[in-house]
Amino acid sequence: MMSGFNNHVDNSVWGRAVLMAGAILTIGIVAFAALGLGVGSVKHDEYMEAKGEYKDALKDTSLTESELYKIHHHEIDAHLSYLTYWVAGVTILAISGIYAIFLGVGGFFNSIQPQEDHGHDDHHDDHHDEHHGSASPIVFCTGVLLFLMGFPDFVEGMRALLSQGGTFAPGDMVLSTIGLTIIMIGVANWWREDLPFIGHGEQIATSAPFEGEHIRKAGLWVFIMSEVMVFATFFSSYLRIRTEWCTKWAFDEGRCGVGMTEGDIVMTASDYLRPGGAAGTGDFWTMLPGAVNTFALIVSSYTIVLALKTAKDKDWEAPKGALKFLLPDKKTAVRNYLIATLALGSMFIVLKLVEWSHLVAEGFTVGTVQGSIFFVATGAHGLHVFVGLLIMLYLVFKADTVGYDEENGQGIEYFGLYWHFVDLAWVVIFPAFYLY
Amino acid sequence: MGEHAETGLEKWLLDKTGKDIYFWNFQILMFFTLFEVGAVFFEVIPGTDIRITRYMVWAILIVVGIIKGYGIAAYFMHLRGDPRIYTRTALFPVLFVLLMMWGIGLSNPEAITELPAWCTPDWDYATNR
Repeated sequence: MMSGFNNHVDNSVWGRAVLMAGAILTIGIVAFAALGLGVGSVKHDEYMEAKGEYKDALKDTSLTESELYKIHHHEIDAHLSYLTYWVAGVTILAISGIYAIFLGVGGFFNSIQPQEDHGHDDHHDDHHDEHHGSASPIVFCTGVLLFLMGFPDFVEGMRALLSQGGTFAPGDMVLSTIGLTIIMIGVANWWREDLPFIGHGEQIATSAPFEGEHIRKAGLWVFIMSEVMVFATFFSSYLRIRTEWCTKWAFDEGRCGVGMTEGDIVMTASDYLRPGGAAGTGDFWTMLPGAVNTFALIVSSYTIVLALKTAKDKDWEAPKGALKFLLPDKKTAVRNYLIATLALGSMFIVLKLVEWSHLVAEGFTVGTVQGSIFFVATGAHGLHVFVGLLIMLYLVFKADTVGYDEENGQGIEYFGLYWHFVDLAWVVIFPAFYLY
Repeated sequence: MGEHAETGLEKWLLDKTGKDIYFWNFQILMFFTLFEVGAVFFEVIPGTDIRITRYMVWAILIVVGIIKGYGIAAYFMHLRGDPRIYTRTALFPVLFVLLMMWGIGLSNPEAITELPAWCTPDWDYATNR
């Protein structure tokens, strides 16, 4: 077992990752039981009842149009309310399941590795000569390559497995499964290499233009810039097709082509979500998930800054008052700030999928051009958030075991850069797709 | 997101309020997000009869987006305070992004009519391919 902030990490410490995985899975199961099965089944009954009422009302010729509209509106509300709880429950279960697999498999893989001899590590100066480079990212990327090559077949196989159509062929799953296995090995090995890292041996660039800077930081900035280009393609594609659409606003302003009628108006996602949107479905509640998510990302950006600030603060003191309970000492404070960031990011994913389910239920599907660009762009952003959350799982684990301090806090700093970028991308996506 | 000595505005804020630049940046980001959502949520400016037009919404969204983007990049991502090479790296793709916005995003030959001429360059390949 390692002690404090030195770099003796015994294999047994990885057992803690397996325990954390179990705890996360338990939270997921409890949340699913409460939201999906508990409240969800009540809401489902209410929805079925409202659906039956609407069916009966359609046959009743004595009802006025406004009465029929009210009953229909009640049915839609009941459906969306049911979807909210069911999708939230299922999403929390799925997210916690993936977290548990990631953390549990990584922890198990590392706990059974041959124990390394750390006898020479008693002399800390030795580590100044060791570098923190790793071949694991290459292994990881090879896994991603294979996974994506097999992804179309993998989707078909999963559809058949979940009885959504098609015939299941085991061969469909082979390439992606190999890819996933390699990804897991790459990630687990990466963790194993990084966990003992206490800040000595950070590789420094020796030539221009980043001379004297940490190579990891420079590499991360270059990576972020490539991500800017990725999101720019989504945004420019959206702009290109958006300028072609005869939206409600363009129609009202007389900017649509000659002969266009109200029936030709194209509904965007914001028309469904925004109060006063052309679809007529938008109100405070439809706007809420997107707005809450925007605040959640900003708060999570701040909590990760606080995690880094606490880790780097040599003179950190526990706060007085109620916060002392949450932040009793420096190591726990860093861990808890990271857990808060993880929780906020997870909430972002849950709310996003709830919102998507509402949009699909109201007819805004991926089968249309406007649906396609919306789901692809916001989905790509959601995927970035999710990947960030998987990385954050490891940060929480390290904060809980080895700990972060002023020597090795750059691990939080570099991840924080990525996390802030995800926030930055949302600053553009939210107004463009949700408000405009 | 690195550590550096507080100078100028950052030091002044810390001295006057006891809170660092990260705290105030967070507050400003929260305020402008509220402002952004409010601009779309309300049809008239609360307490007045002034209608919030679509052009006003555009202006608000763009200005707020720039302020929020600056706040995140400069303070949370710490481009202010880090060596200039990081800012230059961050700005490197801007030219390509602008080209994509103009050359792809705003050059749709089938776009709705009456867009300004600069939005629909008269590129033959786009109309006659």
